[in-house]
Amino acid sequence: MTGPSSTPPVERIGARTTLQKLLSRFHFGITLFAVALSGLTILLAGVTALRGYADRNMELAAQLGAYGVEPALVFNDPQAVREGLEPLTHIPGIARLRVLNDVGRPVTEWTSPAADPAPTLTRIFFPRPFAVTVQRNGSAIGTIEVWGDSSTLIDYVRLGLLAGLGCLLITAFGTIFLARRFEYELVKPLNEIATVAHDVRLHRRFDKRVQPLGIAELDRLGGDINALLDELQGWQGHMESERALLAHRASHDTLTALPNRDAFDEQLALRIEAAAGRGSRFALLFIDADNFKAANDNFGHAAGDAVLVALSARIQDALREGDFAARIGGDEFIVIVELDEEVHPEALAGRIRTVVAEPILLPGGETYRAAVSVGVATFPDNGSDATALLTAADAAMYADKLTNRSR
Amino acid sequence: MPLKRSWGRCQVLASLFLIGALVTTPQMSVQAASQTAVEDGAGGMTRAVNRMVGGIVSYARWPTGSAATARTMCIVGTPRLTDRMAPDVPGAGSVTVRRVAAAAVTPECDILFLGRLPVADRRQLIAWVRGRPILTITDDDAACIYGAMFCLGNRAAGISFSVNIDAIGRGPLRIDPRVLRIGVGEGGAS
Repeated sequence: MTGPSSTPPVERIGARTTLQKLLSRFHFGITLFAVALSGLTILLAGVTALRGYADRNMELAAQLGAYGVEPALVFNDPQAVREGLEPLTHIPGIARLRVLNDVGRPVTEWTSPAADPAPTLTRIFFPRPFAVTVQRNGSAIGTIEVWGDSSTLIDYVRLGLLAGLGCLLITAFGTIFLARRFEYELVKPLNEIATVAHDVRLHRRFDKRVQPLGIAELDRLGGDINALLDELQGWQGHMESERALLAHRASHDTLTALPNRDAFDEQLALRIEAAAGRGSRFALLFIDADNFKAANDNFGHAAGDAVLVALSARIQDALREGDFAARIGGDEFIVIVELDEEVHPEALAGRIRTVVAEPILLPGGETYRAAVSVGVATFPDNGSDATALLTAADAAMYADKLTNRSR
Repeated sequence: MPLKRSWGRCQVLASLFLIGALVTTPQMSVQAASQTAVEDGAGGMTRAVNRMVGGIVSYARWPTGSAATARTMCIVGTPRLTDRMAPDVPGAGSVTVRRVAAAAVTPECDILFLGRLPVADRRQLIAWVRGRPILTITDDDAACIYGAMFCLGNRAAGISFSVNIDAIGRGPLRIDPRVLRIGVGEGGAS
């Protein structure tokens, strides 16, 4: 009853690893998604905000430039215009400056010596220059144009990406740690359940129970398993007692509780084999109640049953430990007795006849004196197999019965 | 004559700069700087002078009136650069020109243009102007040392003006610091 033990612990470890991997992957995926999403959102929001600031910066620079070059334009002084633009050349993020006079002719122009780090980005973010009209007392006297470049934006994006990468790294480590913890918390109780199930299946330990695990769902599962184990245990006990009862019934006579014919056949075969092996002897006593049919008819079946019970009890009392008595038919009993110096089968037969003849108290209050015929056969003298022995014992019994009748 | 220009790092408040630039030039009260290109042709010089004078006037603030108030310019002596003085004020505002004798100058004059005139007359007029809201411009003082607030000069590249900050500082008239900066300017331009 050991069952197939072809499921070594390797399988369980494999399953556990899969769960761990699954959890880690799941956690990492979700966290990666969240971090990427928030990082991208922040970056986009930052770029948008920065673009707004850059626009504002360009506008302010243009206003400042307009204020600075205004008198220079009034006096038509290119040198003073250049000087007026000078403060703007220190503002980061300005790629080019140009001042036009009142008729649209360029007065002065300045281009940043620093190369644009990303011309494409510049074209996207600053497609047109910021132009501010320079006014004097309400009349336009010129225009100042300011071109932005992407340097500040690039710096921000670079910094943002770097920070995002750092965040991602931290999150990855955090995720791995959390997944490990979560996996441990989840897998440990699952393992406990698995251990119990394994024990029950492999070793029939129906008394094992899942301990409380502290996780509601798993506790419910554990509770169900425990209830199932309770039922299994109940069934198991019931089945075992049932089986014992059935086995007893199959081999015993219900009325006298003596072994029946089947049990006797089996026992006889065993005894023959054992005696043949040891070279020992045993005797077979065939016992048949005389006139039992008459007693049955005169006093009723209940009285007949009482007589049979009394007979079996007395036969058993006459035997030693190790001898075997069986009821093989309605009023037929058979006894197997091991023979040695002390035991003489004919003497035992006589003793049985004597104890049986004692009065038997019937249920109706009457007494009945039973009489039996006994036939003896010994192994191996009267036969070396069951049939021969039985035939010999039966014949001896009939001979005894004839003697009794004639008496 | 080294002029230290001290641009601050703050680029947003331009006026702060300009005032700062003025503050850092305490000793140099006079400096020619502005260079206005003069177009070729007969009227080129006249137009350039009128534009420059008009520009100076537009950046001056009198205690009374606004930018749009018409101002009176009294010309004393003989202007050297042009004899057809008609200042071209940008935007609102205008200037009416009157020729007066040195002795006939009255406080009605908002602007006093000093041409070539006797030294005594000039000194007397400069002394009279002190403390009054009168803008003084001359074209007969290339070094700008005789007390006029603005001095026009004729140079190879065109005409220019210089500012006498001492003279401006003495009067109640207020001049836009940006003009002072151009007038004080940088030595390189002249």
